[in-house]
Amino acid sequence: MIFGARHLPEDGLFECYLAEHCGESLEPPAAEHLTDCAECRARYGDLRRFMDALRTEADSELDEIFPAERQRAQQQQIARRVEHLRHHARVISFPGRQPGQSAPIATSRVAHHWLGVAAAAGLVIGVGLGTAYYSQAPGREQQTVASQSIAAVEAPAPVAGPELVPDLVSSINEQFLSELELALERPHTSELVALDELTPHVREVRVKLR
Amino acid sequence: MSSENRTGTGAERGSAARAAGAGLGRTGASSASSDADRDRPPLAPTLSDDTRVAIEIRDLVAHGTLDTARERFAELVAVHQRRAMRIAYQYLHDPAEADEAVQDAFVKAFGHIESYREAWPFEVWFTRILINGCLDRRKARLRRARWFVSTDVAHVADARPAFGGAAALDPEARLLARERRARLAAAVDRLDGRQRTIFMMSHYGDCTPREVGAIMGLKESTVRVHLFRAARKLRGLLGGQP
Repeated sequence: MIFGARHLPEDGLFECYLAEHCGESLEPPAAEHLTDCAECRARYGDLRRFMDALRTEADSELDEIFPAERQRAQQQQIARRVEHLRHHARVISFPGRQPGQSAPIATSRVAHHWLGVAAAAGLVIGVGLGTAYYSQAPGREQQTVASQSIAAVEAPAPVAGPELVPDLVSSINEQFLSELELALERPHTSELVALDELTPHVREVRVKLR
Repeated sequence: MSSENRTGTGAERGSAARAAGAGLGRTGASSASSDADRDRPPLAPTLSDDTRVAIEIRDLVAHGTLDTARERFAELVAVHQRRAMRIAYQYLHDPAEADEAVQDAFVKAFGHIESYREAWPFEVWFTRILINGCLDRRKARLRRARWFVSTDVAHVADARPAFGGAAALDPEARLLARERRARLAAAVDRLDGRQRTIFMMSHYGDCTPREVGAIMGLKESTVRVHLFRAARKLRGLLGGQP
């Protein structure tokens, strides 16, 4: 908007503001006019106040959201990230042979044989002992680790006498597992039928236990 | 920041990508000779302190002296951090996101320091990285907004916790300041993309019109026109009072 030939146009005033903002000198005619014309000086003052207020507002907002301690933290984070930036990925050597090591020779192959035999023997002995143990104590099947953990979560504080606890636990377990099974049985997905058939169901386990 | 040291900053992506030069002038847009003066290609300027440090860091990295390079880079971070945060926050209106954007920009600058050329002052180069990052984040936010319930920018800024501060103000003053800032942010957001970027570079990024022109590949006179229009629009939107 031009205020006649005697007054500075709006863009002329803005140029004055920009020059001042950037630390430059005003154009001599504009500077002279601002000195002489009170109206333009007042308009220029309004413009400058508005622009300065925008900047002041931004600065105070930044001070609020980004105090000095936050700046330091950011510097440290940047330093940490920069430190990791040019580190090549560390290759962890596969356990066993080191890069300089030669291939294992016949002696280690003998050791591998013994290792296999020992593992197989341990497995057989373990299975045998386990079978014998459970066949001697049929009630123990109920006290699996899983049922113990479920009981620990599900069972309320044992207010009843100690002789009631196993029954209570087993009934809670059965109820819980049945609910689970019911929930799982509802949506039958054809692709999962084979898998479902391979999975032992709670009711089957229950029958076996009895 | 002295006017010699300052040299341009980021821009809307398309313009930034074809960034070229800007002129020198310092006088009114009405003068033809001034326009010609402004719009001539960039000078081979005397190197600013930051640019010299950046060149030094580039050489150190090239020679594998990374520890020293990192120490020198920390100096650059300290110098540009606050200005970078102000720009990023004005773009994103979210302290945490602005913090991330600034960190990412610095890390990216160090990571690509070998590609830095002194034809661009460090400040210009870095600010371009920062603004491109901010624009990417804004775009990502818009994409997310398509899938989630949109939230008003002012509300987002209110909801996100600041990193500290604000304790000195009483609740009423804080509320008033928050409203004022929300109004201001909404007004700046209503500027069109290029105008907004130019305004932010100039007003919040402390760049001269010449520097902004150098970043955006625009003539300095064009930058001045955009700045004037942005300021006029803001005054209209805010009723002359921020």
